[in-house]
Formats: sequence, C-alpha cells, structure tokens
Amino acid sequence: MKRLYLLLSGVFAVLILLPLLLDKYVIGIFVMIFYYAYLGQAWNVLTGYTGHISLGHALYVGIGAYISTYLAQQLNLTPWVGMILGGIVAVLVASCIGFLGFRFGLRGVYFVILTIAFAEIARLVVCHIKPLGGFAGIFLDFRPSFYNLQFRGNVPYYYISLGLMAGSVLFVRLLEVSRMGRLMIAVREDEEAAQALGVDSFKYSMLAMGISAFMTALGGTFFANYVYYISPNTVLSMGLSIELILRPIIGGLGTALGPVLGSFILTPLSEISRSYFAKGGLEGLHLILYGVLAVLVVLFMRRGILLYLRRALAPVLRLEP
Amino acid sequence: MKKSTRKGFRLNRRGFLKATGAMGLATAAGGFPGLVKAQAKEILIGSIQPVTGPLAVIGQGQRRAAELAVDMINSKGGIRSMGGAKLKLLLGDSQTQTEVGRSEADRLIKEGAKIIVGAFESGTSMAIATLCEQRETPFLIDVAALDDITKKGYKYTFRIFPTSTAFAQRGVAFIKEILAEKRLSPKRAVVSYVGDAFGKTQGAFFIKHFKESGLGIDIVEEISYPLGVPDLSAEVAKIKAAKPDLLFPICRPGDSTILTRELYKQRVELMGIISPGSPGWYEPSVIKDLDKLVLYVMDNVPWIFPESPVYKEANDLMLKRHQAYLETNNGYAFTAILVVADALERAKSTDAGKIVAALRSTNFKDHPMVGDAIKFDENGDNLGATTAMVQVLPDADPLKRVKVVLPKRFAQADYVFPAPQLWERG
Amino acid sequence: MNYALLLQLTVQGILLGGIYGLIAVGLSLIFGVMGVINFAHGPMMVMGMYVSYWILVVLGIDPYLSLVLVAACIFVLGYLVQFLVVNRILDFPEAMQVLPLVAIGLILENSVLLLWGPDPRSPKTLLGLAAVPLGSATIDVSRLVAFCLAVAITGSILLFLKKTDLGKAIRAAADNRTGALLIGIKVDRINNFSFAMGAATTGAAGALLIPLIPLSPHLGHDFTLTAFVVVILGGMGNLLGALVGGLILGVAESLSTLFVPATMKQVVSFSLLVVIMLWRPQGLLGGRR
Repeated sequence: MKRLYLLLSGVFAVLILLPLLLDKYVIGIFVMIFYYAYLGQAWNVLTGYTGHISLGHALYVGIGAYISTYLAQQLNLTPWVGMILGGIVAVLVASCIGFLGFRFGLRGVYFVILTIAFAEIARLVVCHIKPLGGFAGIFLDFRPSFYNLQFRGNVPYYYISLGLMAGSVLFVRLLEVSRMGRLMIAVREDEEAAQALGVDSFKYSMLAMGISAFMTALGGTFFANYVYYISPNTVLSMGLSIELILRPIIGGLGTALGPVLGSFILTPLSEISRSYFAKGGLEGLHLILYGVLAVLVVLFMRRGILLYLRRALAPVLRLEP
Repeated sequence: MKKSTRKGFRLNRRGFLKATGAMGLATAAGGFPGLVKAQAKEILIGSIQPVTGPLAVIGQGQRRAAELAVDMINSKGGIRSMGGAKLKLLLGDSQTQTEVGRSEADRLIKEGAKIIVGAFESGTSMAIATLCEQRETPFLIDVAALDDITKKGYKYTFRIFPTSTAFAQRGVAFIKEILAEKRLSPKRAVVSYVGDAFGKTQGAFFIKHFKESGLGIDIVEEISYPLGVPDLSAEVAKIKAAKPDLLFPICRPGDSTILTRELYKQRVELMGIISPGSPGWYEPSVIKDLDKLVLYVMDNVPWIFPESPVYKEANDLMLKRHQAYLETNNGYAFTAILVVADALERAKSTDAGKIVAALRSTNFKDHPMVGDAIKFDENGDNLGATTAMVQVLPDADPLKRVKVVLPKRFAQADYVFPAPQLWERG
Repeated sequence: MNYALLLQLTVQGILLGGIYGLIAVGLSLIFGVMGVINFAHGPMMVMGMYVSYWILVVLGIDPYLSLVLVAACIFVLGYLVQFLVVNRILDFPEAMQVLPLVAIGLILENSVLLLWGPDPRSPKTLLGLAAVPLGSATIDVSRLVAFCLAVAITGSILLFLKKTDLGKAIRAAADNRTGALLIGIKVDRINNFSFAMGAATTGAAGALLIPLIPLSPHLGHDFTLTAFVVVILGGMGNLLGALVGGLILGVAESLSTLFVPATMKQVVSFSLLVVIMLWRPQGLLGGRR
C-alpha cells in the first residue's frame, strides 16, 4: 500500500505545481477535470457505495447554484456560506426523495425514474419562478474577490476545484474503511441479506443520499461562480445528470479514485475531439466517438478502468491483487 | 565614378548609417515587440458559434457568413492601415453550453485571437462576456437580444444586435403605422411564444410595450408552449377559442410550421399574423415547407437592406457558395466581421486597449443591414440598430419571397394587410 | 366552461395518446423480456422518422405507405444493437446498463445530425393538412390515421404474442428466463427478436409522426422520457397497459393546458408518474410486482 500512497502523493504534488507551467486555457481544462471528478465522486457516494442509482443529480447542482447565487445577489452573502446553506437544502430535498423511494420500496429502475422525475419537475418549476430568472436564468455580477468566490484568473479556481476533488477522494477513502461505509456497501451488495443481519438499510441509504446531495450542491455553487451564468437548462438539466455519471462509471464505480481517473480520461478527450472535429465541418462526429468509447469501455472493462489499471500495476506497486 | 548598375538600396557607408538610424528610431518609438507586431501578416479573430447542438443550423449559417466576410475583406487587401494584414478566423464551437463557450473563448485567446465574436445565444454570450472581461479581450456580440448582457458595465463587451427593448418598441411602432394607414381597428389579439429564455423575454417586452402603446387592442390570451413541443393542437384550440383578430407569434424554427398548419386545420380566422420578432418565418426551409401557408406573415426582425451594395455583393457570394441567402442571424454574423475590420483599420494595432477605443468611436455605414450607422453607446449597445418589418410575399422563386415592407425608406414592396385566410389561398 | 374547447382538447389528447402508446409498447416489450431500460428508445424513434423522411424525399412515397419498410429498417437496427451490445450487458449491475444505452442514444442522435443536418424539417405529406369536423371540434386526419394505425399495430403485436409460437416463447422468456432456457427456448434469439421488435414499433411510431411534428435530431430525449411515463402508468411489461397509459397521458397533458401554462405540461406528467410509482408501482394494469 505504501507505494500506492507514495505515487498518489507524487501526483498530487505535481498537480499543485502545474499552474506555474501552464497557460490559462489549459488551467481551465484542469478546472473542469477536477470539477467533474468532484461531482462524479459525490454521485459515487450514493450509487457506488449503496447501489441506488440516481439519474437526477443535476437537481442538487442546481440547488447549490441557485441558492448561493440568489443569496449573494439579494443579501450580499458570501458564497462560502451560501454553499453550505445550499447544501443543507439539498440534503432536505434528497431526504424527501429518499424517503419516498426507500420507504415505498422503489428499487432499481423505479428509483432511477423517481430521481429523473424530481429533477425534471424542479427544472420546469424553476423556469417559472421569476425571482430566480425563470427561463432566462441569472447572469451573475462579476465582482472579483475572495469573499465573492470570484477571481479574475483561472489559478484560484484551479486550487479550489483541486481541493474539492482531493478532499472528496480522502473523504470517500475514509468512508470506505469506516463502519458506516462498510454497511453502505453491504446494502449495495445485497440489501435483503443486510437487513436480515440487522443493518438498518433505510438509515444508511438515507445517509448516503444526504451526503451525496450536500457534496453535489457545493459543486453547484463553485460552477455558478466560475461560469457566471446559470439557467434551468444548464444546471438542472438531464444532460448534466448524464454527464456527471459518465466519469465514475468509466473510471470505476464504488472506488475512491474511479471518478478522478474517469475525469482525467474523458474531459481532455472531449476537449480534443471537439476542437479537432468541430473545425472540419463534421459537427456531431466527436459526440459519436464519445458514445462509441463509452460503449466499448463498458463492454470490455465493465468494472471501470481503475480495476484493470490496478491489476496491471499491482506488481509494480506491490498491492494485493 | 562608374554608376552602380545595381538597382535598389546601395550598401555604402551613408546608406548603412541611414538604415541603422531608421531602425533605431523605429525600435525606440515602438519598442522591440512593437516592431515585430507592425509586421504581423495575420490578425486572428475568434469566432464562437453553436455549431453543434439544438441551434446548430443557425450556428453553422453564422460561421459560413463570418468566413465569407473574412474572405471578402482579405480579397480587397485586408487591413490596409496595418500593411495589408489578413484576417483569419479561429473557430470555436460553444455546443450551446455556457462552460464550453467560456472554455472555447479561453482557448481562442490563447491561440492568439485578438478579439472574440459570437455567440448567438444569450446565455453563452454572458459567460463569454465575463471571460473576456477577465482576460481584457474585446468581445463583439453579433446576435443576442437579452438586455441584461450589456448591463454589467463591462468595458470589453459590445453588441451590434438590437436589444429586446428595441425589438418591442419598433414592433409596436410598425403595427401602429400599419393599422393607421389601413384604417383598421382590430379589437382582440393573442400573443403566443415558445417558453424558453428567448421567447419569454421577447414576449414579455412586446406585451409590455404593446399595452402601453394605447392602440386599444386587448391581448386576450397569452399562450406559451415548451420548446420542441411535438404538438400544438391544444394551444391552437385555445387560440381559436379566444377569437382573436390578430396573432402575434414568437417561435423557433420547428414550431412555426406546426403552428401554422394547425391554424389552417382548425380554421382560425385572422386579419393577419405578425410576429413581434422571431425566427421561424423567414428561413428558406420554412418558406419551402409551408409554401402558401406562410405567405403574408409579417415578422419584425433586424434584416438585411436589399439596396445596400455590400448586401448585394455578399448575398450573391452566399447564394453561389452555400445556396442560402443573408438574413437576420447570418447577416449580423457577417456584419460583425466588417465592424471588427473597421475598428482594426482605425486602431492600427492589435492592442486590446486600442481596439476597444476604436470600437467605442465606431461610426460604420457600409453594412448590409437595415438601420443607420453602427455606433456604440456607453454600455456597448448599437444605437443604430433597428428592426424592419418583413413580409413573405408571393414570388415564383421561393428564395425571393421575403421582402422588407417597413420602414418605407428601406422597403422593397408594399405590404399586404389584412391577409387572405390560410385556406383561401388556392 | 368552454365545451367546444374541452371537446377539442379531449379528442386531440386521445389521438395523440394512441401514438404515445405505440412508442411505449416497444419500451415495455423490451423491459418485459429483458429487464433492460432502453434509454436509446427516443433516438430510435427519431431514426425511424428520418428513414421515413428520406424515403419520402428520395422516392416520393408517403410515410403511411412506407411504414412497413421503415419498421423493417429499424428492426434491423434494433437487432444489431441487441446483438452487439445489449446481449452482453444483460447481467451487468443496473448502473452499468444505463450507460451503454445512453451512449447508443448519443451515437444515433449525432449520426442523424451528421447525415441530415440540424435543420428542423416539416415536409409536405398527403394528408398533412386534412381535417374533419366533429361537432364544434375539428379532427386532424393525420392524427386520426396515426391513432388507428397505432392501435392496429399494438393489437397485432398482442395477438402475435398470444397466438403464435414465437410469441409464446417470448412471453415464456419474459416470465421466467431460466425456465425458458430449461425447456430449450433459445433465449438469446428471443432477446434479439424482442429488442428488434421493440425498436421497430417505435420506429414505426416515428414515421407516423412525420405529418405532425417537425423532424429534428434532438427530439429523441423528450420522447424517451414520455415513453417512461407511459410505461410506468400502464405497467412495465404490460403491452395493453402501454396503450392505455398512452391514452391517459395524452388526455391528461392535453386537458392540463386548461389549468396550467403549457410549459408546465411535463410537470403534470411527471407528477402523475411519481404518484403512480408510489401508490401502485406495478402500474394501472400491471399484475404482481
């Protein structure tokens, strides 16, 4: 194990020093890598560890983004506090959904559809709420300062998103080895067996929902203050829900590093394929390639790339197979 | 002394001293980088459009028009005040997503773009505007109507397209003119709009100005429907039930066809269909698909000015290359490049501050659009921007059916109002 | 209460509902037999629309007449998808099943974009403008024809499943996969066929929609969601339920525009979905769950 940690620390050190060497555009790419890795990780807490699949996680991104932005605009409240409040609301909403889902015994595909339904309802309702900008969304004021979580250059965003991603990896790793985490995994592996053994699957599922929602909402606040424009179609959309599950699934569901690996593969890939193909008038081709890649990975590396990588590197890193 | 038969510069002592002196002066005057910049043969302009995603048809059209403009300018000698420097477009695809638009702007700036042009869609334009303000790079918006974009006090953002307010004011004024001239007094009207950011904003502004206009027409029903809705039968049933004299629809391409066909099928009687400003009524594909049904529809849109020599030249080239004509969206994409070239001509440099100053003092008349000279106010909005009322009129060639009917000084034909009913057109 | 309006809305809702039903039948069949949620269902319908459009433009054959050909094409597409991809993921955990089908949907959608471009198209068709009065309401003939064909197709599928050997084999495989294997039913082939059939029905629905909706590559997504709602309403795996669910949804959506702005139409359908899932998850016509 030690060698693995050494490797990871090395990578982390490199990441900390990278901004010194790169230009703004590439730093921006990294910001997106870290950001989507973080969102994927938040989703991973729920789906990877308890097995309940959510396809409506954009709901929490939206909650975080809208609440912190609204409070910042109306009360000049710093998004650092706004994000916590957004997180709390996200937990409340997730608890409602979780309650409805778990208490009524909605499993598998039914739970998925429940999460989709709630996210879509929220999106449509927000479209009609004028103080939140309705369909047109909110164009954030650009007032750079630490207090406002807004900066002129990309470097501060780089470190914040790196912090979020690294923090989430640590958190999930600790969760994995904790009692709570292992009980969540028990729920994922076989809910009925776990219940028979006295595990309160409802409680642990709800905990996972809450933690996942909270983390996701923080990401929403970050996003709002990076892109400066939020609308129901950007932060509450089904497209976002799908986008954020791609990385953990390809990288490795139910692992701490899976979402990170997935993001390091997918984000640069999409960036390169877009700037490469969109020029040639072959619009749409890069998305087709994206889709083909996703299918191939799932078919041939079904547990995610991480486990294959691990197996390949095991002798070098002296890991147990 | 024999005269040297060599032509050109003779490297004798005097010549050498002259040359060194001149170089020294130039270097001192412009600084070494300045010397290098003045020799630049290519000026890079970043063009970001939604070429994939739901707005792809418009994004692609805009990109083609921008490329056409660049080609036209280059073939005429490029930027003369900078030694004939040629313009080159760096292409970006916003994928109709805000963070992608922002990232593309960062990428194009890194690749050397001195100014960004785009991005058709208001949300993406807002994200790019903030980025350009952060990077201190000028950003010229070709098409985006939401007023808010220029309300942030950004120094680097300019827009040539009319704002939603301008749309609404001009639209109402045109309607007043038509009703006064034809001496008609309809009493009831229905406004329908697609329920997205564009539709809702256009609708809201129009309704507000309409109500304040004192025309004495009641808006008896406001009907909205989701973008991409497959079926408008319920909505048209409601329109019919409201018994309007006039219909003011704000559409996207796609719902205009089903709306019109549904109006036909349910036999909704109207004096006319006048759009307060929306796509979906002038596109070649709509003209072809709806054929007689779209005749006599009027649309209040920023449009090309058919008598403009710039328009004629550009339109001919557009028809030849792409079998498409210049209209609102690609027309403004085209014009944006012209404005950039004009600013560069006066700035004589690619320095951001100088370009911004040049843009500020723009007074550009040689553009193909209806409206006065392009001049920017302190928010970056175009004071000369205006809309025209176009109408789809009968003509053997479908590509020639959309004609400017108002303002009279730009008009190509007289308008027809009231219009024959949809089912009485043979 | 404007009775003319009410009548018009109800009639239109029923007619549209028939088409919703046809789209959902395919989804329900696929789920019933394989337990797979076909996230690419909407894009397959769009594919059917474009193939039909292409036949119309190139050969001049109206969508109603080329229906069988279109269904056959999408059948082949579905077969390929099942054979190449879906077959291999049947035993995967559910999260891993979602992704490949979403990805396939992405591939189909963008292939359409690449081949036909992003312009919405609304071609003229034979019956596109015909309408028939019914009291104070008018009935759209193309909607009526689509409705009748949708019901006919659904009916024939139901008959097929009940009466033919292949149909019974499909039902057997759906009810009890292991049992079916044991008695020698080639479940793999059944799966291939069922998925292909599900795809074909939705492709046919797409062709029927050409006179009614403008074609655009990005339509698929919304229709996938609509199909979900219908299938949950009617009961997963219950084909008659899909038709009934479609009708209910069609009418509910249509009438809801009386009370709620049309842009909130989907809130009504999704709320209906949530209520049904909580109160009666097997759907209105579903059996045990």
